[in-house]
Amino acid sequence: MTTEDDRHRPSAGKAFVVLASVFALLFGAVVALLAFDQYRVLAAATRLQHETVPEIIRYQRLARNLDQLNHEGERFFSSHSAEERQQALFLVMLVASHPSILEHPQAAAMARDTENYLGEINQLAARDPSALRARYPEWQRISQRMHLLVDDISVEGANLATADLDDMAGTMRTARFKLLGALALVGGFILLLIALLRQHLIRPLQRIDHALSSLDVEQPAPQFPDASLAEIHAVEEATGRLHKAMISNEAARRELELLANRDGLTGLINRRHFMVGAEAEIRRAQRYGRPIAVALGDLDSFKRLNDTHGHGAGDVVLRTFAALLTDSVRQSDLICRYGGEEFAFLFPESSVEQAHILVELFRQRFAEHDIRLPDGVLVRVTLSIGLADASHCPLEIALQRADYALYEAKRLGRNRIVVAAEAD
Amino acid sequence: MNSLRALVLIAALFSGLLQAAELKVAVLVQDPAQISMQGKLIPSSTPGADLVAVTDELAREICRRIHAHCAFYYVRLAEILPGVEAGRFDLGFGNFLRAPEREKRVAFSDALFRSSSRLIGTPANVRAYTTKLAQPVNLANLRGARVAALDGSRQQAYLDRNASERALTVVATSTTAEALDLLRNDSADFALLPIRTGYALISRDKAQRFVFVGPAVTAHGLGDTAHIVLEKQNNALRRAANKAIAEIKADGTFQRIMYRHFPVFLD
Repeated sequence: MTTEDDRHRPSAGKAFVVLASVFALLFGAVVALLAFDQYRVLAAATRLQHETVPEIIRYQRLARNLDQLNHEGERFFSSHSAEERQQALFLVMLVASHPSILEHPQAAAMARDTENYLGEINQLAARDPSALRARYPEWQRISQRMHLLVDDISVEGANLATADLDDMAGTMRTARFKLLGALALVGGFILLLIALLRQHLIRPLQRIDHALSSLDVEQPAPQFPDASLAEIHAVEEATGRLHKAMISNEAARRELELLANRDGLTGLINRRHFMVGAEAEIRRAQRYGRPIAVALGDLDSFKRLNDTHGHGAGDVVLRTFAALLTDSVRQSDLICRYGGEEFAFLFPESSVEQAHILVELFRQRFAEHDIRLPDGVLVRVTLSIGLADASHCPLEIALQRADYALYEAKRLGRNRIVVAAEAD
Repeated sequence: MNSLRALVLIAALFSGLLQAAELKVAVLVQDPAQISMQGKLIPSSTPGADLVAVTDELAREICRRIHAHCAFYYVRLAEILPGVEAGRFDLGFGNFLRAPEREKRVAFSDALFRSSSRLIGTPANVRAYTTKLAQPVNLANLRGARVAALDGSRQQAYLDRNASERALTVVATSTTAEALDLLRNDSADFALLPIRTGYALISRDKAQRFVFVGPAVTAHGLGDTAHIVLEKQNNALRRAANKAIAEIKADGTFQRIMYRHFPVFLD
């Protein structure tokens, strides 16, 4: 049954969906961040492979070409003839014309200056060969500058990789932190999930389990703290209803048991129930060596009463007899309607003599008791009783002996008690 | 028809039958005399013989690398690109610079090397034009001159574009050697040639009549990477040629070929 309160209570399914959604969103966000870092690393690696490395190679080639230019300039000064010098100059011009040098402003300027300088020296040397020696120190300075430029270009080229590698390393470091963050997030979420499961699911279930285990009609209904999940609350409510049903069932069971064990007319216990209880009492008495006695009683001339005043009168007599009997015997004594107008007695902790005193008192009391029949007539009914010791024999035997004694009481004139002879 | 040839070539490449395929390879000559020699050893005395030898060796090495049997044809520059476009040649070795109009007609291999262009002239003409222009002569300020260039080259295209504005007379020649002949004969004042070609020609001129004029130029399509040209649809052959180029650069074959004919290797 769903109450208004239950409708405001979240269900476990919804709570799980919300938690899973939050986790998926958070985890997805972290994965997206990591994927972005991975993309950046891949982009940097691709850039390194397809742009930076070719650019570095280009720088290295430029440095090598400048070295070649320097080398040819040196060869120009070490030439032994004008023709050799001219060939060296042509090579200088060829190298200086290479696109790798032309597209680098510093290298292009250096190559142009070198070419012009050597061209000028070539013309001077054609007129005065000693000019070569005189201008050589100046060439050495130019050559030195060219070497420095080669070094700069080499370093500049190598530095290109540094930026990309730094970028990659930075991204990887960031990715590592994000990964650690993701792990912490997952760990934290799992801890939170465990805590929530414990608080809202496991502990309530444990409480329910404990309540169900100790559910008893003799105990009060189990009480639960207010559950946050609708399903748990429903089970707790069901547990309470179960307890109520148990109490109700127990009451019904007891009533049925009472009905099954009692005689409907007199309210005394019936023969079957008497036999079960008497058997147990006799076993107990015999086990502990205690005295116990049984008796069978029969209303005298009951058939004639029925024939004279009708069965309704007989029922009144029987009910009156039972009421008086119940009022007269001890609580521990068992009395049943054995059949028709015959009654059986069991006297625990009583010898035949003690039992005799009891039944004698009752016999007298009943014999003197006026019973008003439905037709208004007052009658008195007497009782014959057979009494037997049961402390040394089975119930059936004891009853059989009591029955013989009853028969003897009837034979001797009724309204008397006959004690059965001791067993052989 | 071209598509059919391309399909046959692709199938041959994939089935290993390219060994049996015969490719027609055009090799650029530098002098008209070299055309008539067709496959025979070109004397080193002929102008630009080193350049032809480099191109020839390079072409043969690439043919070996792509497992093709090649037939070589020694032709002028102006014949190569139309020949490849028309399917008369499968590969064209002429150190072609990329240009949009060329890209529409043929395919280009990966780069072989880098090149620039430079004016060549006689010292007398340099002096004359320096006086005439009142400044050192270079390609950018050259006006009113007769300039020779190889027919079908990017240099000729550049000169043609600027001819009217700068009163230049463009003299197209079928070979580079003829361009230098024009300078010798005073039929041209300057020649605009690829730097490597210019170097090969003027460094071998015993009389040393020519000099480089002004700085080298790479702008305006006059310099960049040099390539082999191929039929536009022939992707399989282009891939095979590119693979061969990468291999000969990686294993040093390309550098060794260059060093055999030039004192320096510039990449």
